[in-house]
Amino acid sequence: MTLLEIDGLVKEFGGLVATDDVNLSIEEGERVSIIGPNGAGKSTLVNLITRRLDPTAGDIRFKGESIVNREPHEVVQMGISKSFQTASIFSDLTVRENAEIAALAAEHGSFGFKFLEHHDSLTGVHAVAEDTLDAVGLLEQADRTATDLPYGDKRRLEIALALAAEPDLLLMDEPTAGMSPEETDATVDLIEEVKRELGLTFVLIEHDMEIVFRISDRIVVLNRGQVIAEGTPEEIKGDSAVQEAYLGGVEL
Amino acid sequence: MSDEPEVASETGDGSLADTIGVFAPRGDELRIIAATAAVLALFPYVFARMPVVSDVLQGYQGLTTLILIWGIFALGFDLLLGYTGLLSFGHAAFWGGAAYATGVFSQHVSGSPILMVLAGTVFAVLLAWGLGFLSLRRGGIYFAILTLAFAQMLFYMSSSPLAFITGGENGFTGVETTDLFGMLPLQDDLPFLLGELLGTVMYAFTALLALLSIALAYRILQSPYGMVFRAIRENEQRAEFVGLNVWRYRLMSFILSGLFAGIAGSLFTIHGNYVPLSSLYWTESGEVVIMTVLGGTGSLFGPIIGAGIYLYVENIVSGFDTIGPFWHLILGILFVAVIWAFPRGIWGFFRDVRDYVTGGEDR
Repeated sequence: MTLLEIDGLVKEFGGLVATDDVNLSIEEGERVSIIGPNGAGKSTLVNLITRRLDPTAGDIRFKGESIVNREPHEVVQMGISKSFQTASIFSDLTVRENAEIAALAAEHGSFGFKFLEHHDSLTGVHAVAEDTLDAVGLLEQADRTATDLPYGDKRRLEIALALAAEPDLLLMDEPTAGMSPEETDATVDLIEEVKRELGLTFVLIEHDMEIVFRISDRIVVLNRGQVIAEGTPEEIKGDSAVQEAYLGGVEL
Repeated sequence: MSDEPEVASETGDGSLADTIGVFAPRGDELRIIAATAAVLALFPYVFARMPVVSDVLQGYQGLTTLILIWGIFALGFDLLLGYTGLLSFGHAAFWGGAAYATGVFSQHVSGSPILMVLAGTVFAVLLAWGLGFLSLRRGGIYFAILTLAFAQMLFYMSSSPLAFITGGENGFTGVETTDLFGMLPLQDDLPFLLGELLGTVMYAFTALLALLSIALAYRILQSPYGMVFRAIRENEQRAEFVGLNVWRYRLMSFILSGLFAGIAGSLFTIHGNYVPLSSLYWTESGEVVIMTVLGGTGSLFGPIIGAGIYLYVENIVSGFDTIGPFWHLILGILFVAVIWAFPRGIWGFFRDVRDYVTGGEDR
């Protein structure tokens, strides 16, 4: 089943065309990586899908339903979750509270009137938060303040926030940016584990070619806002247009 | 603030909580409410009647009621400023609006203190809904200015176009409060020991509403809302991107803080038996900001302490022969000194001391 369909998507900033007539479809259960040189429009594309930006033209459909007129939180509620490029977490709250906020949104919807209900009674939320923290290996640090975590753990918490929303499609914007080699390895293991256990569909934006070739079923190459190539890792390695635009000089 | 909130509730009142429903006290709520009740019961005696202490403080009964009234106002304001991270500069609209609504209600409908508080509070909530809906379209400084502008509009409206209702420059003088439960005049002293401790019926009535307000605010902070408000303050964008409707939660935060301002404004009318035009003026909005920040944003009791200190300087220090005439200056210096030394206000200072003494870093 096709989960996400992007149809003739265009985004212009003034005179600059950041996304130029992109057509893309993502099947359920697929792991797709989007790569491309700096300024190719990768982040713009993700921001269009998550509704941080309004497209100039074109349509985005999720599970067959257009999302271009939806609010960001509605898109999350429909099942598209995003992990940010930087550790975008709730710094002054504990790790557990961070996960609980995401779990609350997943379990009880985008808004509710439960301001007279003690949070101890939200057992479903506690369970989801606990499971998610366990999955990313942060359960033992649950009572620490998020800001005190080392950078790698903050990024894992960031991924946990995206996972606690129980998405059908997870967009990850450079999940290993700024990490040490050990942290990178741990994160890639985490992504593979999540894929195995939750059967998530995800779209990865990444610079690190090693990771891209290791965990993608399909790679989409963007350059100057356009899709210039699309295929399996093997096909992309051999594609001359890609070599020229992006991989030239990179030892694969 | 809580040490072990989960332990008590999970071992003890699981089935009890189910029967009483969601309102049953959980965790340390009972402890907090009991401690608050004890402090509220002793406060007038210590402040106004206790030998030596009250002489040094020069306190008097009427001020204790006023401190609690402003305390309720500041407590609600802190929900918005300290927890959700929104600085409103127009809360005089809800305070003064409720005060006028209460006065008009007493003249035309009923002078029962309970109904008057109810009427003023409902008015403030509806007003907060409307003004919040309009003001929350913008964030940061624009939000502050919009709230200020709306509140000043109300001030202007009541000063002349609506003077036939509000009394214009003279204020609203037609407040007609009847006895509490139809038999207890508010200005009378309570009998025996209660009279010695609490003083007047008005204080007891105010203290009861203050206790309810504190219990309500604490429950809100322990509910999902408390968590969501802090999440919005910390990282609004992330809150939206975990799937929360930030806009509606903000509006609820605004309305809930309007609710507390409404309770306080209504009590202000009953306490003073009069509504001055200045209750809608922007300086009232400023005062509640100062009280909240002075006492400590993001805490339950800080704003109430801030209100107490502010009113103490305004009403008692200002009467001292020596430094009295400079009370504004004293307040300013006090404010700067506290914020410079303890950015999280007086309550933040208490918390730091406690953490230092106990060695624990419990949040």
